Amino acid sequence: MTKLVVGDLHLSYGDNAILKGVSMQLAQGEVVSLLGPSGSGKTTLLRAVAGLEQPHRGTIAIEDKVVFDGARSVEVPAEKRNLGLVFQSYALWPHRTVFDNVAYGLKLRNVSAGETKERVTSALANLGLDALAQRLPHQLSGGQQQRVAIARALVYNPPVILMDEPLSNLDAKLREEARAWLRELILRLELSALVVTHDQNEAMAMSDRILLLNNGVIEQQGTPEEMYARPQTLFTAEFMGSNNALRGTVAEVRDGSARLAGDGWSLWGAARSTARAGAAGTGMVRLERVRVADAAGDNRVRLPLVTSMYLGEKWEHLFSAGELRLRAYGRAPLAKGEHWLEIARDDMWVF
Amino acid sequence: MIRTWAALAAFATLSATVAAQVPAGYPANYADVVAAAKKEGKVVIYSATDTVAATPLIKDFQAAFPGISVEYNDMNTTEIYNRFISEKAAGGGSADVLWSSAMDLQLKLVNEGGALTYESPELKAMPSWAVFRNEAFGTTYEPIAFVYNKRLLTGDEIPQSHADLPKLFAAHADKFKGKVTTYDVEKSGVGFLLITQDSKNNPAFWDFVRALGSVGPRFQSSSGTMMERIGSGENILGLNIFASYAVLRQKKDPGIGYVLPKDYTLVMSRVMFISKTAKNPNAAKLWTDYILSKRGQTIIADQALLGSVRTDVEGEMTASGLAKTLGASLRPIPVSPEILTYLDQTKRLEFLKQWQTAIKGGK
Amino acid sequence: MKRIPLPRLAVILVMATAVLTPLALIVYQSLLSAPFFDPNKKLGFGAFAFIFADPDFWDALRNSFVIAAGMAIIAVPLGAILAFLMVRTDLPGRRWIEPLLLVPVFVSPMVLAFGYVVSAGPVGFYSVWAKSLFGGVPWNVYSLTAIAVIAGLTHVPHVYLYSSSALRSLGSDVEEAARMAGASPFAVARDVSLPMVMPALLFSGVLVFFLGFEIFGLPLVLGDPEGHLVLATYLYKLTNKLGTPSYHLMAAVAVCIVALTIPLVLLQRHLLRNAGKYVTVKGKAGRQRLLPLGTWRWPATAVLVLWLVVTVVVPLSGIALRSVVSSWGEGVVLSEVLTLDHFREVWDQPTLLRGILNTIVIGVVGGALAVACYTAIGLATHRRPDGWSRFVDYLVLVPRAIPGLLAGLAFLWVFLFVPFLSPLRTTIFSVWLAYSVVWLAYGMRLVSSSLLQVGPELEEAARSAGATRGQVNRHVTLPLIRYGLLAAWLLVFLIFEREYSTGVYLLAPGTEVIGSLLVSLWGTGAADIVAALSLINVALVAVGLAVALRFGVKLHD
Repeated sequence: MTKLVVGDLHLSYGDNAILKGVSMQLAQGEVVSLLGPSGSGKTTLLRAVAGLEQPHRGTIAIEDKVVFDGARSVEVPAEKRNLGLVFQSYALWPHRTVFDNVAYGLKLRNVSAGETKERVTSALANLGLDALAQRLPHQLSGGQQQRVAIARALVYNPPVILMDEPLSNLDAKLREEARAWLRELILRLELSALVVTHDQNEAMAMSDRILLLNNGVIEQQGTPEEMYARPQTLFTAEFMGSNNALRGTVAEVRDGSARLAGDGWSLWGAARSTARAGAAGTGMVRLERVRVADAAGDNRVRLPLVTSMYLGEKWEHLFSAGELRLRAYGRAPLAKGEHWLEIARDDMWVF
Repeated sequence: MIRTWAALAAFATLSATVAAQVPAGYPANYADVVAAAKKEGKVVIYSATDTVAATPLIKDFQAAFPGISVEYNDMNTTEIYNRFISEKAAGGGSADVLWSSAMDLQLKLVNEGGALTYESPELKAMPSWAVFRNEAFGTTYEPIAFVYNKRLLTGDEIPQSHADLPKLFAAHADKFKGKVTTYDVEKSGVGFLLITQDSKNNPAFWDFVRALGSVGPRFQSSSGTMMERIGSGENILGLNIFASYAVLRQKKDPGIGYVLPKDYTLVMSRVMFISKTAKNPNAAKLWTDYILSKRGQTIIADQALLGSVRTDVEGEMTASGLAKTLGASLRPIPVSPEILTYLDQTKRLEFLKQWQTAIKGGK
Repeated sequence: MKRIPLPRLAVILVMATAVLTPLALIVYQSLLSAPFFDPNKKLGFGAFAFIFADPDFWDALRNSFVIAAGMAIIAVPLGAILAFLMVRTDLPGRRWIEPLLLVPVFVSPMVLAFGYVVSAGPVGFYSVWAKSLFGGVPWNVYSLTAIAVIAGLTHVPHVYLYSSSALRSLGSDVEEAARMAGASPFAVARDVSLPMVMPALLFSGVLVFFLGFEIFGLPLVLGDPEGHLVLATYLYKLTNKLGTPSYHLMAAVAVCIVALTIPLVLLQRHLLRNAGKYVTVKGKAGRQRLLPLGTWRWPATAVLVLWLVVTVVVPLSGIALRSVVSSWGEGVVLSEVLTLDHFREVWDQPTLLRGILNTIVIGVVGGALAVACYTAIGLATHRRPDGWSRFVDYLVLVPRAIPGLLAGLAFLWVFLFVPFLSPLRTTIFSVWLAYSVVWLAYGMRLVSSSLLQVGPELEEAARSAGATRGQVNRHVTLPLIRYGLLAAWLLVFLIFEREYSTGVYLLAPGTEVIGSLLVSLWGTGAADIVAALSLINVALVAVGLAVALRFGVKLHD
């Protein structure tokens, strides 16, 4: 069953168009991430679904019920959409205890006091907050506040839970733990969730599907694996993962492969639809796909080592000559001087 | 050489004018006072008389004695008193001449030795009640009136005497209810002085107060506020208001009328004295003499509209004119320490208490 | 012990002297039996015994409580509603209504009160009209209730300022969170917005209650006819009650007022600190969707317009009309009595002209100087959380607790008896010093809110680049807050134009300002001139407001 359908949504602030026709779907039990740089419209899309922003065209339907239809002037107010939203700032009500924060949605739904207590207690227990029920928000740590915010959004069983940068207010260390925990929670409770994030790792780790937004339109969507391994556009390739960008001229295109040439080098890669022989091109290759080889060979380039950085679990090496700069990972430090670097034909996308 | 001649010539003219300025009938040595005053060059006055009313006097004085400027400071009566005592205590400069309608406060300052004794050449023409020990001088003659709104009070509703009031209030209780105004005697020194004078002159004073209380009087701090409300019709009758104010007001607002009570009419006189610590005593003497002179009093009567205290100045609202119409019923408040009785705290509070009780209808 | 830099010490000491001397004088005077310069004075509690035995004192105290409570009851809900309407709804015409909302703050209560007498008094312009419509005047502006209601209505802006800025800084996310949870707009206001601005409302409630003990102009003008006294007018009345001025009694009353207001000031401080804990959790203030009022816009507009009419239009139109007629009231045909004589009279009187000039000078030049002083004090405590700064914090609150009337009197004494100051007594400087001290707390709030907007890292960057504290102030902090200071100047100008009670006892030739002239002229009853001067005063304030709006000064923070 489809929980959420957005069709051709347009939204602007005055003359400034933010969403320029976005369509998407969210299936039962699915987690979809809205990924994109700031200003791409991802938060606006989430807020429009929530009913906090007013689109001027398009449709939004939740569980087959239309909550917005620009053509028919249908707009269900936010409070009637029965969605759960976890704010980036958590937006806990500072004058209410943790218990009261979570219980508020139930109170508004006229749930009896006994049942409210039961459901709030169980929601808090689910999130490991049992002991904190009577605290005020400012007495909690950031991680605890985040979990209260989630409990508050979940307690009345909304069909879809919306999360706006749920992890961004946490410390780097905490964030990774919370990511795993959140994924596990979503799976355990079988939630359908729409999550806004600007962090590609977060998006890949948490979601079943990623929607990459760029400048108000969807650039590409797919599973994390598709997004990472098979980017269709330069923007997607650049946005996902750590990359080397090689600028040069497309020397020839043959059988789905393209040869990119620069000042004293020439490499084969997988041609993307934009690659045209004779035009300028960009080769994208993930850092982890650059291999340090011991001798000359097919699709290799020789570059001097500039520096090596120790990252703990690995080394990162920087090679550079003229315009060409390549970074690569390695298990061990490298000797000074020039090295051969190999990029497998399928690992470089030529745009 | 030429310059010396010019200077001499100027000096000659100057001495000539000085000689000419000694008013007729003044002692010959008055020229010394004038000369000394010229040297002082100015006289500082604290006065409760409006600048507008005093301006003709100041202009005429400066015409008579060019070269002496008048620093005229218009303030309210309490202010004059406060300023004078605190400035005296601080030892700084203060006024040379104090001129105020708060007769009691002025007498208090004089009585405490604040005044310079000065035998003005004009004393001969002054009534005796208006002079105290050659220190304090009554300078004006201002009868106290009932003021009413001509549009709203007519015919026999207009009181003609203090004795009429209780009867009128009883007969037209509805008409007068909340529409009679007079001084708040706790806030206004002048109001207090007048009401205590009433208590001396009105044989049925406390009955009168009770009658006043019965119509729910509106108390104001000043005659101007009373007049404003009478003019607008918010109140229709005001008691113990200076007739001179009513005359002035009538010119702007023809709806204002006034009555000088037939049984007795209180007369107030603005008291002037020279400070013992005056920085410019000679100029102060000149000013005082001028105010008491026939020339000054004529301006007081005709232009300042305050009424002349001298019997040789003619006019409807002057001592001489009023004597013809009201005769023996005029009761000038004497410039004498007898009016200080109620500056004694205990007596004052006692009187106020009695007043409050009577206003509320009690004995 | 760490040595404190000389300029800082000097600023703090001068300020402490300016603030504490008047207070000390008042307290000392209250313990004497006569004016403190009287050789026959004796120490004792006689003055307190006298006022405590005076039924008028208790009467005034009770009235003050009634008025203060009434003001809080009226101003707080109304101010909060107006703030909600202006900040959170799509009320039509919000832009041009906002400056009007603040008019009562900048118009002297003397002017307003006098305006009410001529427009809504028993035979006022509107009353006569009402009489012809209903056959009677359904209100009485001289009653205690009316005074409390008018005082309450004129203090609505104070509440509005605090609650609107609280509403503005309240992150919209907490409200959106409630809507997501299923709360209707009304439930959002009730369950989230209101409780969250509650600290600001409480704070402004205490402020209004406390200002209630200091109101002077309204009861001075409106309280006379029926004899309603409040503490400040009771104090004024003591000038004459005993025939001669009773400074010791007045000082005793002042000490009583201070004893009532200081706890309130401290309570305010406490509330402000408590409000801080809400601020720490506020979210990002995002783009807010204004609440559509729908059909509610009509009653909402009606409330607003009614308030504006009663508080601004009625008194000001009354004053304007009174200033161009020679007489008024029942049975007077206004078209027959029109005149410009009152303005001509003002023009003819050098004292009044000087008063107008002084008022402009004290607003423009004095306002700038005052802001300079406030800035010096602000910088002396800026980012230095030590004992001296806390001392200054408390000092700033002291003048707030002293009614302006008394502060003026205390400054008169200071100027009389401090030798090197006495030549300045009859200059406008004396009034300026009194004004600057009386409005210290107000000015400091303006200045320190600008100072707080300067990011600490900007100053730290200058220090690490080698600048001394003085150089940091001159090169970084001051240039950064210059627009804030300009705005503060305008706001101080407006307040100085309006001020009336502080100058009353300082009034002398040379120190006339419109505010104190109004009190003094009202005392002599020169209503014509009072009306004309009031109108001139209102015009000056209007010019200031117009300039402020033209330059986009935020009239609140």
